[in-house]
Amino acid sequence: MAVHKGRGIAAIEYPTGMNQNGDPSQAWIKVKPDGRIDVFAGTSDIGNGSKTIQSQIVAETIGVPYDWITYDNSNTDSSPVCTGTFASRATFVAGKAVEKAAERVRERILDIAGKELEIDPSDLEIVDGEVLAKGAPQKKIAVPDVAAAATWTYGELITGAGAQLKDFASIVDPETGEVDSPPHSAISYAACAAEVEVDDETGVVRVTRLVQVYDVGRAINPTLVEGQIEGGAVQGLGLGVLENCYPYYPSAEHRGGQFGSYLAPGFEDLPQIDTIIIENPSADGPYGAKGIGEMANNAQPPAIASAVHDAVGVWVTELPITPEKVLRALEAKSEPTRNGKTVVFDAELSVNAVARGGIAFEVPA
Amino acid sequence: MKAVGARLPRYDGIEHVTGRTTYVDDVRVPGTLWAKALRSPLHSATITSFDASKAEAMPGVHAVITHADVPLLEYGHLSALGIPADEPLLAKDEVRYKGQPIAVVAAEDEETAMAAVEAIDIELDERTPLFDIRRAFDSDAPKVHQWGNWYTHFEGEMDRRQIRKGSVEDAFDKADTIVQGVYRPAAIEHVPLETQVALVVPEASGRLTIYSCTQALYFSMGVVAAHLQVPLNKLKVVGGTVGGGFGGKVDTASETMCALLAQKSGRPVKWRWTREEEFLCSSTRAPWHMEIADAVTKDGWILGRKMLTLHDSGAYGRFSPYGLTKHSFHHTGAYTIPNLEFDGYVVFTNRVPTTAMRGFGVTSVSFATETHMSRIADLLGLDPYEVRLKNANRIGDTSPNRIVYTDPSTVSVVKALAGGMDVELQPDYAAMTRDPREGDLLPEHLVGQMANPEDH
Repeated sequence: MAVHKGRGIAAIEYPTGMNQNGDPSQAWIKVKPDGRIDVFAGTSDIGNGSKTIQSQIVAETIGVPYDWITYDNSNTDSSPVCTGTFASRATFVAGKAVEKAAERVRERILDIAGKELEIDPSDLEIVDGEVLAKGAPQKKIAVPDVAAAATWTYGELITGAGAQLKDFASIVDPETGEVDSPPHSAISYAACAAEVEVDDETGVVRVTRLVQVYDVGRAINPTLVEGQIEGGAVQGLGLGVLENCYPYYPSAEHRGGQFGSYLAPGFEDLPQIDTIIIENPSADGPYGAKGIGEMANNAQPPAIASAVHDAVGVWVTELPITPEKVLRALEAKSEPTRNGKTVVFDAELSVNAVARGGIAFEVPA
Repeated sequence: MKAVGARLPRYDGIEHVTGRTTYVDDVRVPGTLWAKALRSPLHSATITSFDASKAEAMPGVHAVITHADVPLLEYGHLSALGIPADEPLLAKDEVRYKGQPIAVVAAEDEETAMAAVEAIDIELDERTPLFDIRRAFDSDAPKVHQWGNWYTHFEGEMDRRQIRKGSVEDAFDKADTIVQGVYRPAAIEHVPLETQVALVVPEASGRLTIYSCTQALYFSMGVVAAHLQVPLNKLKVVGGTVGGGFGGKVDTASETMCALLAQKSGRPVKWRWTREEEFLCSSTRAPWHMEIADAVTKDGWILGRKMLTLHDSGAYGRFSPYGLTKHSFHHTGAYTIPNLEFDGYVVFTNRVPTTAMRGFGVTSVSFATETHMSRIADLLGLDPYEVRLKNANRIGDTSPNRIVYTDPSTVSVVKALAGGMDVELQPDYAAMTRDPREGDLLPEHLVGQMANPEDH
């Protein structure tokens, strides 16, 4: 009886935005008389950081400090359409909408600053809350003074709206699945290695280390990206070795109705997590960003399953990889069946073994 | 300073960590009634009699709603995308999962509401439930829906989602080895700290203010407006701050019923699901059944893939047809496989409907295809990094639905992972890029699938 160490890897990809697109996000921005910025967008923040990310995009695009931004996603009377916070779209799609709205606001600020400075707006830029003449930064006016002039001198509201919508990609041939345009925006890629320890007496799988690489396009906020990746890793660990709504699936009995009877990962389960971020900018996301929120829990389960095999020589392909399943697999020591050049694993799980003629999985010989 | 790329503090971080964020359950409105639901105690049954008169007559009970109170009983979250609705807001005539809401009560407090729920007289005629998706197609399988046990409304009225590319027969004929495996990830609960909750306030103006934990304000507003058959200006959805969602709060689980109760009682109504309801009655991540057979060469090229996917949708469709379509589009993972035959079914069972969850549709296929990839490498004695790099998506390769990849980074992430694990790759793999294939990396079987990225 011993504890065996193993390693496994996985590489994955994931699309950004709703599959087949057609999911709009909109935003509008107004400027207060002292130059502070009010952003109205309908993007729920489910902990993914959309309030922070969209505020950073607005600050960057206009050229004002982050703490000048007030972000309001609180209700549907003041905020325009956002399809929602899902499909890894809050940064990529909704972030693009606020970027476009902020570009309009920047243009309006430059127009009014141009009048005040008597300089063509195309020769002006905004840096840290000040409008500067390009190449002659001593000629300048503060954004709060521009906003005040708009309000009290010119009788104008500085505002801007933006929207992002990618055309719906239709399936033109349902037989083949062929589509008429890309059904996704940027695709993100990731790879993960898992190191595990498997106790062949108890069957317990302990994930000791996860090394993860994500192509995020551009990390708008590296701290939040790391949070998504580490949080996703823990959820992926839950998928891999702990969580199950139906412990005797497909039976619906013996469900856990409390925290005490449903094994979500706890701090005791945390492995060492090493994160490597690659920035391969997307062509159409805000500042080159891609969305990696969802894919963050996809790579760990297969890496863990492969690591368990590396450790003790058994493939457990029904998740989660519980002690019971590990012990049963060690006891069964099942080998794949071979028929000519065909190697068949898991024959007992197949529809061919379970269905009574209703469906079959037939493979060309 | 630059804002993009900076480690700026989270916009709402201080509120969260000091416990001062206002979530839906923190909103207090005088005169609020509390909602509780009568839920099906059985997995599958016909409702033979229903009588709520005793409950309605109880002191402190202000309203009871059933299917008869809903102007549009069936409205799917994806109706706007042409995916037909199959789920009644409140059960009518039959129940298809344990925990399905049949009636909802609004009363002065939760105890009274619960007592009223228990006072509803209901008789059910139990039926045999279906739980194993592998048996759903058998002639003797219990029927979950009148039209059958799987979703039949994909394009062209197909009963499945298909992908066909190249010739699987040819690939399997040319293969040195065919590797078959079965992959079955489990149902997962979203486990948000904030359970499903809604508060609906009927305003003097006649509008309804809906405090919602939804992940999608406008999505949920559309769903409520459709069920109530009112224009959007009659509703104001207040939210945007969610105590954990992970996909489960794309479902509009409690807003519509609170709105109906608020209309009927003229009082604000709050429904806060218990932890038990969250675990047992809220939707879950779907369990999936996937079978893969790959045609491979002895040096590790994947020539073709045949795949069968059964998606356990639970009792109703919700987002499952969308999830399966996304799944099918990504069933080759981070690799280019030129010959494909994929069949996927959304299968109904008598369990709680499944819904979106982080990685929706793809988490399952990533598990299946990547575990399978490791198996292939192990079986053929190949390096697991190199077999992945060899088959990696490259610029100019095409996806299962014939979209050309212009920006793949399988090669970069796998090489970076090798670096992170101190694994030394053979020189030709270490030098690999994502540039269009040529030479040894453009074998005969991949020539036909190539496209010019400039055309896209």
